[in-house]
Amino acid sequence: MGDLLYLYGLIPTKETTEQSFPSFKGFDNERELYPIPVGDTTAIVCNLDSGEYSEDSIKEKINNDMQWLQEKAFHHHETVLTLSKAFTVIPLKFCTLYKNKDSLTQTVQSNQAKMESTFELLEGNEEWNLKIYCDDKILKEQVSENNPAIEAKRIEINELPKGRQFFEKKKLDKLIESELEEEKNRVSEEIHFQLKEFVLQGNVKRNWSKDVTGKDENMTWNSVYLIPKSDVEPFLEKIQQYEKEMKEMGWQFAPSGPWPAYHFSSFS
Amino acid sequence: MQQVSPTSGKINLDPDNAEHGLAQLVLTVIELLRQIVERHAIRRVEGGTLSDEEIENLGEALMNLEEKMEELKDIFGLDAEDLNIDLGPLGSLL
Repeated sequence: MGDLLYLYGLIPTKETTEQSFPSFKGFDNERELYPIPVGDTTAIVCNLDSGEYSEDSIKEKINNDMQWLQEKAFHHHETVLTLSKAFTVIPLKFCTLYKNKDSLTQTVQSNQAKMESTFELLEGNEEWNLKIYCDDKILKEQVSENNPAIEAKRIEINELPKGRQFFEKKKLDKLIESELEEEKNRVSEEIHFQLKEFVLQGNVKRNWSKDVTGKDENMTWNSVYLIPKSDVEPFLEKIQQYEKEMKEMGWQFAPSGPWPAYHFSSFS
Repeated sequence: MQQVSPTSGKINLDPDNAEHGLAQLVLTVIELLRQIVERHAIRRVEGGTLSDEEIENLGEALMNLEEKMEELKDIFGLDAEDLNIDLGPLGSLL
């Protein structure tokens, strides 16, 4: 049986003629990455032994060998990240494998038009991520103190008998919770809207739970942006300004990047 | 009693700290029941079927229960997050 091809990413062929292809160790940590030109697009691949890296054995490793998964996912991410610093890259998902050169070539050829428009979109731009966190406790106090309806209700509750107070306080807590969620969404959406001034495209992603982030604060916003390189600095300065102005109110901003443009390119 | 720092969402049943882990487990179950009772009571109050006196008595009882629960959490060095155990794909308990 021949070797499999592990596909890391696709780059415009013209960029490979402008600079030499750097040396990288491949997925098996032995063989090197190399380019396969297919017309205007070049696939960046490495060879893998089809016996050792069959579909079943990879599935088995992904499901049962966390150390292997961590090491290989890190390798994939680092390789694509390094490539994206030197070339315009359409990054491929972890463990994208082709049976042989012919099947890869055929897939690339049939997606040529789509890839050309993606290269056009990505060229000269960077993907950045912004995660916004909020200390619910601090913001809840502000929401509660600055809302006249809540304050009036609180005074009204204090006049009630003890037992009744319990139920009314629960109702008020529920109201404050929903006001808090609305406030978090309103502020985050406003920031997302204002940042669009600097970006070509912006997408909202699902928030991560505290188990994933490992932070005490809740994530209130998670978005990705495609930004022209020249606008990255003003984009980050704007975020710093938010951080400075809103830190006291319990808000935290975590921009990160540049990342391989996973969210603004697709290839299947 | 040795106080351990409980990991949020996880019950610590380490043999050396079994006492604390057990307290966390018991308080988690009590807190779950307390919240179920509280929600049921709120529904009944909102349903309008209880007299003023019944509402007053129920409210006071629930308030006392809540205060007692806070005391117990303090004694065992636990907070609300510690009782909200992780049920994996089902999400958090409370």
